[in-house]
Amino acid sequence: MSAAVAAPGAGGSPRDAGAGRVAAPARPSRPRRWPARVVVLVVLVAITAWSWVAVDVDLAALAQNFSNAQDTLVQLFQPDYSFFGETLQPLLETVQMAVIGTAVGCAVSLPLSFLASRATNPNGPLLGVVRTVMNVVRSIPDLLYASIFVTVVGTGALSGVLSLVLFNLGIMVKLVSEALDGVDRGGQEAALASGATWLQADRAAMLPEVAPQYVSQTIYVLELNIRASTVIGLVGAGGLGMLIDRVRTFYQYHYLSLIILEILVLVLLLELLSSAARKRLVR
Amino acid sequence: MTAAPTRVAPARTTAQDRPRKPAHLARKAVWLVVVLVVVAAFWGVDISWDALWDMPGKLGHYLGLMFLPPAWDKLPEALSATMLSVAMAWFGTALGVVVSFPLSLLATRGLAPVVVRWPLRAVFALLRAVPEVVIAVLMLSVTGLTAFTGALAIAIGSVGTLGKWGYEAFEAVDGGATEAATAAGASRAQVMRWGVWPNAAPEVLAFWLYRFEISVRASAILGLIGAGGIGKMLVDNIQFRVWDVVGVLMIVVVVVTMLIDQVSGTVRHRIITGRWELPVVTALRRRSARAARLEASPSVLEDDVRSGTVG
Repeated sequence: MSAAVAAPGAGGSPRDAGAGRVAAPARPSRPRRWPARVVVLVVLVAITAWSWVAVDVDLAALAQNFSNAQDTLVQLFQPDYSFFGETLQPLLETVQMAVIGTAVGCAVSLPLSFLASRATNPNGPLLGVVRTVMNVVRSIPDLLYASIFVTVVGTGALSGVLSLVLFNLGIMVKLVSEALDGVDRGGQEAALASGATWLQADRAAMLPEVAPQYVSQTIYVLELNIRASTVIGLVGAGGLGMLIDRVRTFYQYHYLSLIILEILVLVLLLELLSSAARKRLVR
Repeated sequence: MTAAPTRVAPARTTAQDRPRKPAHLARKAVWLVVVLVVVAAFWGVDISWDALWDMPGKLGHYLGLMFLPPAWDKLPEALSATMLSVAMAWFGTALGVVVSFPLSLLATRGLAPVVVRWPLRAVFALLRAVPEVVIAVLMLSVTGLTAFTGALAIAIGSVGTLGKWGYEAFEAVDGGATEAATAAGASRAQVMRWGVWPNAAPEVLAFWLYRFEISVRASAILGLIGAGGIGKMLVDNIQFRVWDVVGVLMIVVVVVTMLIDQVSGTVRHRIITGRWELPVVTALRRRSARAARLEASPSVLEDDVRSGTVG
């Protein structure tokens, strides 16, 4: 009877419960988790307080600036559609950069992801090297790549494409190699047992297994690329970003709002397309 | 096909007997379009590909300038700039959490009426569509760009993603607890508190942390356009071509990002599974066990896969 009182997860002392207090309400005692929770909460509040001080929260200044920026706001809410013609070329370049970046990045990432998955690469040291390099590649943000390539190869779409390729490599290799870790390895085992080399086994048995996920991630990466390629121009790497930078320095906010509107439409369109395509792939 | 009573050995299958290979016309058409688009992009883009030839040499040259050796004496400065970036990311994410949490509850099917739900979802979608940098550019023109406004830009961006992940997590909650709460006469708020939240909590908390990881990257980027922190320092040094300092800064960015990802990933794992799995310790202890498990059912790393694909 009293065993039911000492329910699993009950903190405190289960021996008490067995000691004959049958009359106690038949409820497991609450687990004593509050000390841990208090500690976590205090830590979180402390970090938040520290960040509050560090970023120097100043609501008064914010309100002040906001009220000073009436004209800016008015301009921002009145996009100048006559500017559309001039945005077409950068818009096209943005899409081109994203497409090229995706194509090259995803093509290069396929062999690399096979090298970066434990399931397809039996060579431990090589696996470690590839994974470490890819971790480093992934932790550098796209705009940073862009600003470095701009100084190395000059402003324009080439530095944009190069930074998108590296940005894609990081994401694709992680996602695809993890997909490879998760697929059914029966086919590969069979291929190896029948005398195939690892390369042949991976090609014949593992590639078809990840193909749908690979394609789906490629579409996802294209979506990310469109987003990224609209902004990497801010540091000079071609596309709409360069135009944003220009109109911003000349305070042409009614142009700026048109560009942002275009980005919005572009991204939303691609998101619709991509989610539809990925849904079909999964099915 | 013959009506003879005796059994005839089946004839060898010929090409005609085999089922015809499916034509996959639609698939071929899609491939054709994709190839055409890619070719058109290569064709039309304004790039002189010749520049690629001397790129490896140039890249090597600049990498040499950056890392042989990096200016280690700037390390303290770089670290304090990084702390500012991290503070921006944390503050922005925290603000985003505070704002998005009630909103995502209001965007959940079954918890809020349609008239509230769909406008909110539209707002989330809109916020997700605008890159953070663009939000920051907007804030820059309206209020000026400081670390605080950078954090606000991050907050606005996180409301979009967190809002979406939030209502998706709430909707994925198994209906049993909600039904029981409703049957026992709970109000809408009580259903949320006792029926939905306990089930969705681990996932939602993990999403918050994951969003913080994204924000760390975003805050470095916002620095590049002037919001202060490590990005500001980077862009200044790139502009004045102080490459050895750029080298240190890159090392700091990489190390800090990886460190935060690792810590946050470990905590997320703890939240989702309820077990601590410390990166090095556990890896060493369970190396053989994990190999065996991978053989049996290759589905480890599931939370990493999920966290990697949401977006």
